[in-house]
Amino acid sequence: MKITIALAGNPNSGKTTLFNVLTGSHQYIGNWPGVTVEKKEGNLKTNKDIKITDLPGIYSLSPYTLEEVVARNYLLDEHIDVILNIVDGMNLERNLYLTTQLLELGIPTVIAVNMMDLVKKNGYHIDIKALSKKLGCPVIEISALKEKGVEDIVDEVMKVAHQEVTIQHYFSYDIERTIEDIQNQLPSDIVLSQRRFFAIKLFERDQKLQAQLSQKIDIENLIQVIEKQEDDDSESLITNERYQYITSIIDECYKRKNQNQLSISDKIDQIVTNRWLALPIFAFIMWFVYYISVTTIGTMATDFVNESIFGEGFELFGSMIPSIPDFIRSALQMIGVASWLEGLIVDGIVAGVGAVLGFVPQMLVLFFFLAILEGCGYMARVAFIMDRLFRKFGLSGKSFIPMLIGTGCGVPAVMATRTIESSRDRKMTIMTTTFIPCSAKLPIIALISGALFNGASWVAPSAYFIGMAAIVMSGIILKKTKMFAGEVAPFVMELPAYHIPPARNIMRSVWERGSSFIKKAGTIILLSTIFVWFTSYFGFVDGQWRMLEASELNNSLLAMLGRMIAWIFTPLGFGHWQGAVATITGLVAKENVVSTLGILYGFGEVAENGVEYWPMLASTFTIASAYAFLVFNLLCAPCFAAMGAIKREMNSRKWFIFAIGYQTIFAYIMAFLIYQLITFITTLSITFEMLIGVIIMLGLIYLLIRPYPKKMKEDETYDELDFE
Amino acid sequence: MPLTFVGIGEVHKILKVKGQEKSKKFLESLGFVEGAQVTIVSYNQGNIIVNIKESRVAISQEMAHKIMVEGA
Repeated sequence: MKITIALAGNPNSGKTTLFNVLTGSHQYIGNWPGVTVEKKEGNLKTNKDIKITDLPGIYSLSPYTLEEVVARNYLLDEHIDVILNIVDGMNLERNLYLTTQLLELGIPTVIAVNMMDLVKKNGYHIDIKALSKKLGCPVIEISALKEKGVEDIVDEVMKVAHQEVTIQHYFSYDIERTIEDIQNQLPSDIVLSQRRFFAIKLFERDQKLQAQLSQKIDIENLIQVIEKQEDDDSESLITNERYQYITSIIDECYKRKNQNQLSISDKIDQIVTNRWLALPIFAFIMWFVYYISVTTIGTMATDFVNESIFGEGFELFGSMIPSIPDFIRSALQMIGVASWLEGLIVDGIVAGVGAVLGFVPQMLVLFFFLAILEGCGYMARVAFIMDRLFRKFGLSGKSFIPMLIGTGCGVPAVMATRTIESSRDRKMTIMTTTFIPCSAKLPIIALISGALFNGASWVAPSAYFIGMAAIVMSGIILKKTKMFAGEVAPFVMELPAYHIPPARNIMRSVWERGSSFIKKAGTIILLSTIFVWFTSYFGFVDGQWRMLEASELNNSLLAMLGRMIAWIFTPLGFGHWQGAVATITGLVAKENVVSTLGILYGFGEVAENGVEYWPMLASTFTIASAYAFLVFNLLCAPCFAAMGAIKREMNSRKWFIFAIGYQTIFAYIMAFLIYQLITFITTLSITFEMLIGVIIMLGLIYLLIRPYPKKMKEDETYDELDFE
Repeated sequence: MPLTFVGIGEVHKILKVKGQEKSKKFLESLGFVEGAQVTIVSYNQGNIIVNIKESRVAISQEMAHKIMVEGA
């Protein structure tokens, strides 16, 4: 028998953990049609005929957030056999609010009370039998984390599937009568089991549902009669009765200890979010995370990959293991392939892809720590701590988490914006988050800093500073445009109880984020290294098409291409073909910039920071043009993979083009201003371009200090539901 | 009085949630309804963390202003 289950529950109720336990690795992750809310589906590990859909985490079935609308449309339209409602046993009262609404949908429901281990440990008691009787559906105790009680879920689901549902909870007499009146007026195409749900929602003046009816019905008079009688609006009446009903359940079924006592989580929060200690604690934790992932473990692992696996080879149990390039080279020579093919494979593909894979260990260590911080509940506090600051330039505290992830890789950073509910705040975060230097941009910084600034210690921090300044400036500028005007959506966020995150979930998160980067190495970067290799080793010499020697690079296709577009970068100081070509390959993947310049200066394979060609770089660039080159490459549209992520997450062609266009133009202007400014300081002469720079600067200052556009109408101020 | 005037650790009953429909309803689904008890856990630059119905919710100053509680 094929059965479809919808898994519903509050955020932080352990829904994802249960879903992972039930389905194992049989999961398909995508988006709900038309919106950018993540949709997960999977088959039961123990029974492939049972399909489970993980609904977004929601608190209610109201029409006010995207997640709620997505979830309830799915429940109404998709002929679900059973709803599996997971509720947090430590927080029963709030969780049952959603349950009372799910039970009105006319779909057989099984309730799984999660975190029972904690409930018992804390000396609480839940009378499961009484709860089941009160709610009119089977209730099971589980602990998703410890995988306890999970088998019982399947048994109960099989039992209730295709059973009739009986209503257990009725509203007060007058409201019930009105609901019945509305039910009778509903169009006949609404099936019997859903008529009560529709009637209650229409009584609450749910406009989204009203619009879904095949024919309009006029029930305004009916509602107003009750509202006058009870002196409250219909929606509040329903909400209050729901909570009264829940209170009566709690009183009967739930015994807790002294409820005014502060929990451990509260005590931790009093320290961690304390107005004086919050920032120092946060700074220390972040310092520790980056210290470990960038300077110690991460670097050791990265050096091992770069120097041993892709460099000199390494010793294992006393025998010498050759490095991958050496191994492949000798293998190719053994089977006797042509020398150009050997060059393509070893110098082009293996070197290019290897350079990228060198970042992986460092990034995985960083993602590991960030996953722990997210999993234990601290990240939610970080969003809270940073909220006031970010609000000043038009973003919310929730924008900060993607930016932290962005220091590793832009792709998971853009995906991490999904936790931001307001679509406007979210779009703005997507547009600005890749300004933060990701780990692939670090070699560019090392290159410029080493070749032109004698490795001065201020260059790298200045890159992060520029990234942050770009975010702040963009936040303010964009917020003052009509598109983004209006208040930042008010910050309301549930803070999960602190807990030790299960290792399984940490590993899953690290893998999901890390794999997007590894995939990029295998696809886009692979193709681009072939392209760069081909276009730099072939070209016309005296009108003759042929393969080139390394010294003839000037004649290559790539050089031709570079010369065609170099003029674009003349105002930024690097209007030569090497700079132009490196920038273009940087659009494919930022880690290409260093290796491309290496090829362009005649080196097949270079170190991560390109130390071999520093002298040549110093002769083609000035201090001003090198820094402008750095700024442009840091801020302009990110790599293909991140652009792809932006396109997916924006879910709109128009917004995608706007985002990429904005980033590129912003980067161009910044690099231009910086080039002109440094040139002025170092030469003390005034050129025509500098005058243009002054005008642009004034324009920029105007955009930053002009007043906010007039406040829009109240109900437009934060429209979180645009389905464009 | 608004929730922002309440000291850390005090327990208060909610009288009314004001403000726009959307934010009001979202607060209601999180448990901010008439008669519910709230405790302030922490303040940070105006934003607050409250304990309500056994869970912790972080809310911004603007929202906290709109939640009216019984005076001490």
